[in-house]
Amino acid sequence: MSDLKAIIKEKLGNGIDAFLCLKSEEGSVMPVLIADENSPDLEKVVAGDCRYPLAGIIAALLREYPSKRFAVMVRGCDERALIELCKLEQVDLERVVMVGLACTPEEARACGCARPYPREVALGEKVEASPSREVIEKLESLPEKERLEWWKGQFRRCVKCYGCRNICPMCFCKDCALEDPHLVEPGVIPPEFPAFHVIRALDMAGRCIDCGLCEEACPVGILLRSLYRKMQEIVEQKLGYLPGVNPQDRNPLTFLD
Amino acid sequence: MVKEEAKNTEEVRILAFLCNWCSYAGADLAGVSRLQYPANVLDVRVMCTGTISPYFVVKAFQEGVDGVLIAACHIGDCHYLKGNYMTAKRFQVLREALKFLGLEEERLRLEYVSAAEGEKYAEVMRSFTDEVKALGPSPLRKRAPVKGVGA
Repeated sequence: MSDLKAIIKEKLGNGIDAFLCLKSEEGSVMPVLIADENSPDLEKVVAGDCRYPLAGIIAALLREYPSKRFAVMVRGCDERALIELCKLEQVDLERVVMVGLACTPEEARACGCARPYPREVALGEKVEASPSREVIEKLESLPEKERLEWWKGQFRRCVKCYGCRNICPMCFCKDCALEDPHLVEPGVIPPEFPAFHVIRALDMAGRCIDCGLCEEACPVGILLRSLYRKMQEIVEQKLGYLPGVNPQDRNPLTFLD
Repeated sequence: MVKEEAKNTEEVRILAFLCNWCSYAGADLAGVSRLQYPANVLDVRVMCTGTISPYFVVKAFQEGVDGVLIAACHIGDCHYLKGNYMTAKRFQVLREALKFLGLEEERLRLEYVSAAEGEKYAEVMRSFTDEVKALGPSPLRKRAPVKGVGA
């Protein structure tokens, strides 16, 4: 990734204190923060064929270093996450420079998000993709009882690892409702339906940016993304809001306008 | 067929969240006016319907209630100016979400009842209880209700 290397050098020379991207080391791709032009990590930077919640890492970095400026390599999903986190006052976009990376056609197809590229693309070629509504459509065609059984069957597999919440770039609360003993009884596995998963789904309404990391992280393969995508559709239909797209739009579930 | 009939006559339990300033006073008026309405409802008085987290509704369904009613002030009449605007927005999202998960959407209802509408309160309780009775016990109910409770 010589292009990426050149961009990192350019940014570090232009008032950016550190650059967050991915590196490949001994066959593993992992996030790396490069603060020095002569860093040996510079030779290892890659676009990466796997993803990390970089927006969440940036939020943590901004909190940790209140006077520093950062640049970050963003895919479409990372950019949406940063925009939405800015609206939720978790990220100060004045201190973040985004370097856009478009997903390759293979990545875009495998992931299936609606916009696999950021607004400004610096690396890669923009490709269009269409998200699959297969699971949602199948469920909507079922009668209510069967739909309930289908979801119960999905959530019965849950091992309550909190992986979906921990990986989610949009989850940042210090006190999580999923750990509130009044809402979710501690020590009960699988967690009772519907509280655990529906509470998370409701929190994702007007917030989920459809990065799909939750479903990737889930060790038992619960089709979480279909649920959160449906929440996104509901908020769009009922309240006319799509998270992470327009920095000027305000979240109707957070603000009264 | 017999089973269906038995289901429909079983007592249902309804949880009603009532706003302190309008709907609770409306319920009070229904009471002092001696209006008849079914006793299946258990009410929870809240300062404003805007304080009702959707989590509470989800939790109520998990605990096995058959229907949840949220009774708010009329739009524009909120004691805290815009609390019920938020309720109205959240309600739409919550109702659709529950529907997608396979719970009948009729089990969740939002009504606007003012302090002067005792008759409306009784009517809402009658119609909502009938509706929930027609649907039968919630599929999320864990155990059979204890006879005589809430009935």
